[in-house]
Amino acid sequence: MTPEPIELIASQPATLDSIDRALDGTFTAERLDSSESDHVLLDTFDRLVRGEGWTLAHEHGRLALSDRRMISAVAAGPPCEAPAGPMFGRDLPAGELGNRVARAIELRALLPLGRLHVRTESYRILDDLQKTVVRVNVLVPELVSCGGSATPLSTRLRIQVVRGYGEERDEVIAALSPALGLAGADQPLPDEAILASGERPEGVSTKVAVPLDADQPSVLAVSRVLRALLDVIDANLAGTLADTDSEFLHDYRVSIRRTRAVQRQFKHVFDPDELRVARGEFKWLQQSTSDARDLDVYVLGFDAMRDLIPRETRPDLAPLLTALRRRRTVAHGAMGRALRSDRARETMSRWREMLDVLDDGPDSDRPYGRRPIGGYSSRRIRKVYRRMLEMGGAIRVGGDESPPQEFHELRKKGKELRYLLELFGQPTADASVVKPMIKTLKSLQDVLGHHQDREVQIDMLRSLADEVAVLPGGPRALMAMGVLTAQLEKDAAKTRRKFSQVFEEFAGKDQRKLVKDTFA
Amino acid sequence: MSARVLATYNIKGGVGKTSAAVNLAYLAARDGHATLIWDLDPQGASTYLFRIRPRLKGGARELVALRSRVGELIKGTDHERLDLLPADFSLRHLDLDLDAFKRPALRLAKVIEPMRADYDYIFLDCAPSISLVSESVFEAADALLVPIIPAALSSRTFEQLEELAGRDVNGQGGRVGFRVLAFFSMVEVGRPMHRSVMARMREAHHVTMLGAGIPDSEDVEQMGEERDPVGAFAPASPAAMAYEALWLDIKRRLGTARRS
Repeated sequence: MTPEPIELIASQPATLDSIDRALDGTFTAERLDSSESDHVLLDTFDRLVRGEGWTLAHEHGRLALSDRRMISAVAAGPPCEAPAGPMFGRDLPAGELGNRVARAIELRALLPLGRLHVRTESYRILDDLQKTVVRVNVLVPELVSCGGSATPLSTRLRIQVVRGYGEERDEVIAALSPALGLAGADQPLPDEAILASGERPEGVSTKVAVPLDADQPSVLAVSRVLRALLDVIDANLAGTLADTDSEFLHDYRVSIRRTRAVQRQFKHVFDPDELRVARGEFKWLQQSTSDARDLDVYVLGFDAMRDLIPRETRPDLAPLLTALRRRRTVAHGAMGRALRSDRARETMSRWREMLDVLDDGPDSDRPYGRRPIGGYSSRRIRKVYRRMLEMGGAIRVGGDESPPQEFHELRKKGKELRYLLELFGQPTADASVVKPMIKTLKSLQDVLGHHQDREVQIDMLRSLADEVAVLPGGPRALMAMGVLTAQLEKDAAKTRRKFSQVFEEFAGKDQRKLVKDTFA
Repeated sequence: MSARVLATYNIKGGVGKTSAAVNLAYLAARDGHATLIWDLDPQGASTYLFRIRPRLKGGARELVALRSRVGELIKGTDHERLDLLPADFSLRHLDLDLDAFKRPALRLAKVIEPMRADYDYIFLDCAPSISLVSESVFEAADALLVPIIPAALSSRTFEQLEELAGRDVNGQGGRVGFRVLAFFSMVEVGRPMHRSVMARMREAHHVTMLGAGIPDSEDVEQMGEERDPVGAFAPASPAAMAYEALWLDIKRRLGTARRS
């Protein structure tokens, strides 16, 4: 019923005097009250809460969820302390706020992004009958650093009309605008605060979308994409090393893998010797993080995996979780040493230098760099798609079944195709074509991924048998692991049977024609 | 949300209808309920008390003909969640305006219908009369809140209303939809006459006579000066407390029994 307040930025001080003077007797201003509040802004690294159109903050001794502008309340939690560190969905209070936020953030941790201190002065504007026609809240916000120093942010006026007094509100704004230097607030307060803290309001997402022009020299297009990927790698390194949440490592690895796919698919734009070294080093980076990621997945998916066996034997698997957690700790330690090493630092610094060279434009030694990216990427997409048709066509399901490695190789190739479509599909094909293509590919990848997960889980269980056996409760755990292995094998076989169906769709006549026509 | 419609009504004037409507609506809004007062009195006393200009764009005729956009006529008061549909002088012809329709008694209910979804409570502040407007108010209201001055003739007025509420509308024992909830208004507890009338009526009409009585106080008169409900400018006064008690009693009596 009540419309949202209008939010304006004031470049001049907004006080009772300045407001009253500006109203010039047509209306009068009356000061109601003044309040001070602190708000610790919380969101995930990739701003999943913001993505839902919300702002989450710890304020007035509780968590509060509001709209992006921090004007309309969405939900509030019970009284609680401000989080001292990362906070997960499981740490959120039960109730509407907890449910909504937990659904939005999934596995990610909520991080404190900054502390806002806001002084609010409330006024009401009265007409000649002394009737309130407009309410004005003047917000004077500051960003407070950990050390306590404050950075002033823009003064905001929130102008709330009283129902039925729209004309009066417009008159009030017209009167205040020149005197207070009012302008539309193009950025919500939390975004302004996060920007002032040196962070990106939109956070860091693995979704890299670099607008490309089909006629652009491929060397420049490739360089721009790789630089965007490098930003994501850099941004996720600290969270990966601190083990803030599992998705830092995931996003780090996805960007490394995407970089490797681009290195492989557009190799002709690089100096071959330098590229050989870079590819080797990126492969090493990827391998250095594999165990840690695999163990993250095992630990995170433990409950789901445990639920594959009969309920009464599930508690017997507790020693397996203990062993997984131990291994995870060791793997993260090893990964940390690798990523902090001189070798890793040098790899990234050399890579940056290589991208700088690409930025200089096409080199006479590498004529491919001159070619328009549209044609180059289309050729690569067609080629990888064709290769997948060959690989998938050779896979046998049923009696004389292909080894799991062949499914895995096809999946790796599928990831390469997906990255090509996502990163380089746009200059040639419309999103309405690329998106359904990725969807069909994703159906295939889901089946292959599920199959691969099961195979890896089976290997993991076998490799952990000795370690689990010596733990308290080990013998019972081994028996339960045997039951689990059988279930996983059964599930892997079931997944392989699904393969033919999804591959048929992926390799069907329509899909082949679509790829051929789109990436001609 | 489907609003409960409560009308402050009495055939007689000067018994505290507007004071009751304004104060009870204020308390409903303060309790967190979206509340509307519709000032149906051409004198526009509740409109005046909320400092709102007595102006009904298009006049009463357009409103009851459903040609006005009623949402655009509503004004916010100075109190959160409390809106007012103002009166103006065109309401003096409301009887005639209603009479132009085939079933005039149902007309106000039709005007209210679209607003029911937006509010928890709609208070109708009625002009003193027994007329077509009153009939239409009876059809629209879930309950009549009837202020009674504890004087000898008052009980007669009240009995007439009870008769009306209990009348057989379809010849088969069906009753009109509204309930009558009466309360003592402008009570002078020092007057033996008031005390005896109150005692007698409470005994005779204990089902419909509310417990709380509103004192005859300067604070209520002061509303005209302050142009605000008593609860807003003198929340600890006996009158404000009495309205609080009355509002509690009304909510308790209304309970879950709603007009179907």
